[in-house]
Amino acid sequence: MSDHPILIVGAGLAGLAAAVELARQGLPVLVIDQAQAIGGAVHRQPLPGVRSTATGAQAHRWSRLIAEVQAQAIPIRCGTRFGGVDHTGAALLTGALSTLIRPRAIVLATGARESVQPRPGWTLPGVMTAGAIQSRIKTLAEPPQGRVLLAGSGPLLLAVGAELCRLRHPPIAIIEAARPLFNPASLTLPLPYLTEAATYLAHLLRARVPLFFGAHLTEIIQTNGPLVAQIDTRKGPRNFAVDVIGLHDGIRPNDAGLTNCDVIPTLRLGDCREALGARAALADGFAGGQKLAAELLGTTPPSPNHDLQRQRAAQARLARIYAHDGLARLAEIPAETVICRCENRTLADLRALGPAPTARALRLDGRFAMGACQGRFCAEWVGRLSDLKAPPKPIGAARWPSRPISVADLLTTSDPIEKETK
Amino acid sequence: MPDPAEFDVLIAGAGIVGASVAWHLASAGLRVAVIDATGPAAAASGASDGAVSVASKKPGLMARLASESLLYTRELSTGGPLAGAFHARPSYVFGSGAVEMSALDALVSKLADLTGPVRVTADGPATLLPGLGGAVDRLVVLEGEGHMPGHKAVRAYLSRPGITTIWPAPIRAIASDSNGVTLDLGHRKLRGNTLVAALGTATLDLFPALPIQPRAGQLIVTDRGPVDALRGSLTAASYLVAKTGSGDQLPLPPVVIDPLTTGQYLIGSTREAHGRTDQVDFATLKSLLSRASQIWPALLNRRVIRTFAGVRAAVADGLPIVGAMPGQPRVLMATGFEGDGICLSAVIGREVALMVQGLAPQSHWAADLAALSPARFENTAQKGAA
Ligand SMILES: Cc1cc2nc3c(=O)[nH]c(=O)nc-3n(C[C@H](O)[C@H](O)[C@H](O)COP(=O)(O)OP(=O)(O)OC[C@H]3O[C@@H](n4cnc5c(N)ncnc54)[C@H](O)[C@@H]3O)c2cc1C
Repeated sequence: MSDHPILIVGAGLAGLAAAVELARQGLPVLVIDQAQAIGGAVHRQPLPGVRSTATGAQAHRWSRLIAEVQAQAIPIRCGTRFGGVDHTGAALLTGALSTLIRPRAIVLATGARESVQPRPGWTLPGVMTAGAIQSRIKTLAEPPQGRVLLAGSGPLLLAVGAELCRLRHPPIAIIEAARPLFNPASLTLPLPYLTEAATYLAHLLRARVPLFFGAHLTEIIQTNGPLVAQIDTRKGPRNFAVDVIGLHDGIRPNDAGLTNCDVIPTLRLGDCREALGARAALADGFAGGQKLAAELLGTTPPSPNHDLQRQRAAQARLARIYAHDGLARLAEIPAETVICRCENRTLADLRALGPAPTARALRLDGRFAMGACQGRFCAEWVGRLSDLKAPPKPIGAARWPSRPISVADLLTTSDPIEKETK
Repeated sequence: MPDPAEFDVLIAGAGIVGASVAWHLASAGLRVAVIDATGPAAAASGASDGAVSVASKKPGLMARLASESLLYTRELSTGGPLAGAFHARPSYVFGSGAVEMSALDALVSKLADLTGPVRVTADGPATLLPGLGGAVDRLVVLEGEGHMPGHKAVRAYLSRPGITTIWPAPIRAIASDSNGVTLDLGHRKLRGNTLVAALGTATLDLFPALPIQPRAGQLIVTDRGPVDALRGSLTAASYLVAKTGSGDQLPLPPVVIDPLTTGQYLIGSTREAHGRTDQVDFATLKSLLSRASQIWPALLNRRVIRTFAGVRAAVADGLPIVGAMPGQPRVLMATGFEGDGICLSAVIGREVALMVQGLAPQSHWAADLAALSPARFENTAQKGAA
């Protein structure tokens, strides 16, 4: 059992930092990632032959970590999906590495996902997440074609806007629900946050990108040609005709469908545990790796990590600075707005289930969270729409597969477990 | 003196059996309340396949009950409460190897003896069903059976006016006397003239002396796809062996492939001696899917989007428990339907409603129903009640 590797799911900052820490202590690890290259969300690597758009500070942090990964000769398999871990401790991997393995422990470092609040028209072609635009920029160093509008809320909108400016393809406008620049608390953020924000704003102002704060994208209409975005600004309604809309309403742990396992240690690290951003993910990865190593080797656990606490405090401040009334608008969306895009279920379908439906009723009668995403995207809004004040929770118990698994892939996985037990 | 009864009948459990009993009693004009710990279809009825099948039942009593329930389900689905919940469709049973061959022989002769609502329309090679893969030596095609998702039936039954539903409300304790029954719901008490306990596997919590055992089953759901040539369930003969035989080693995985009206497939299922709904494992998944996709290769183009486990309430002697508890005339049991509760729910609801009203069943039923009475465990049950 002790020669079985520790499986690390996710080759972003948290996963790689944990891998480095565990390997330093002599523990065998295996890092997998569903993407074709390592880097995760922040350090997503450009495709071969594409020049990197990473800034100096980012590139520096990354190359330091990679040097350690190489020094420890950590095995990494990209293009490999984690299907989940079952109650016997078997983990399913499909893709480039296709096997059932029985790891000694599992580190889930699957990062964050974006949250996008339903609005009329949010499922139209041409509407994507701001993060999808960013990852396109990182891998291809290319902006999307046509006029781009960024809308929603969160620091990512300014970051993506600035990256588009650097590619000489500035967005038509940025629609931000909060008013971060008008909040005096902004100046109390840690210096690196402020310099980052200042850089973004400099790019955006130089390119004369209209920035609307305290504004909301209320509806997207499909015309023959472009998309028309209707905006509620503080000075009244405005329309923008665009080709691409990048929506973003914050980030959440990417933990839907990830189950723990009673028979082996399972640890969640980085944004997957608590979405606090890159600096925290790196700190959490190192600290979590140390903690797990101590647990497995029976040595003294490390002292609590102050870096992480600082980042948590900074993120909490950022969240207050970015507070806005967008959720109130959720309650006002028209009944025919789609809430669950996999199964095409609307707010009217949700209301038809009556007050306070059970998880079973939501799933079986309402068909919410019954499609390919199993609630990853819609559970938050189904929960909010049932009770605006309560924090949303998953619809029903988490279950693997965390993502759909092809039957053909599943049947061709090698099965060393079977051989072992025979 | 306990409070006067608020309801004529209290029904514990909003599974398909409790819901059917409630509908029949409300239709007879009684004041009914259905109480559930969680909500409608929260246990087995919301985590099962929905075969309304005679083919899979043990010859004799269970096959007779299933035939009657199938006929009655069809009746309730034409303009009645089950319209939209039940749909008729063919069923296919396949086999290969000696054990499965003889199970198919037994199936054909059982259906001939029953002269019931299910008939064999074809019996021959795999080529009878286009799309069937290799590894099938013989296929039996049946007409007359159907499919009914448990949650749809529960919702349909309970939407009848006159049924009060109370949930989430776990029943903590039951106290019965000669005039009625009082339920302890923690924050309040509820009084009724009669209690029907339709608690599935949770029967054990409140009636620990009854010989009920959990039997978990794992199920797989695929994504949507084109609705293909498979119009009804495709059942391995070893599934019949598992359900009707002595439970010894199965020659091949007892797989059932069910095409859902959504264009998804539901693939099941195992029969495991525990009650955990969170135990779904890759090895089992692979073995079920491996046989399923040999039989129906179109599955290879699908993706698994969900897996889950449901728990059946099995009874030591293989028969459901229906009727008044010995020594507790105001408490009627309707439980222990194992893998057949969806199929039997219509007729059980009708008969339990008659029992509650003190009405006799039709004479040709009397003996079969009497065989289901909890009185058959009297010695053990009384020990537990003491
Ligand atoms: C994998 C699988 C496949 C199946 N396939 C089929 C099939 O194809 N055809 C078929 O006919 N049958 C099938 N079945 C069997 C069928 O699902 C069951 O027989 C049937 O659902 C039983 O219904 P029930 O109402 O007796 O119990 P349940 O549906 O289990 O209902 C019991 C209810 O009691 C409630 N409850 C529990 N404790 C308390 C308490 N203390 N207070 C209040 N309420 C409480 C629960 O919340 C639950 O709602 C299958 C079952 C499984 C698991």
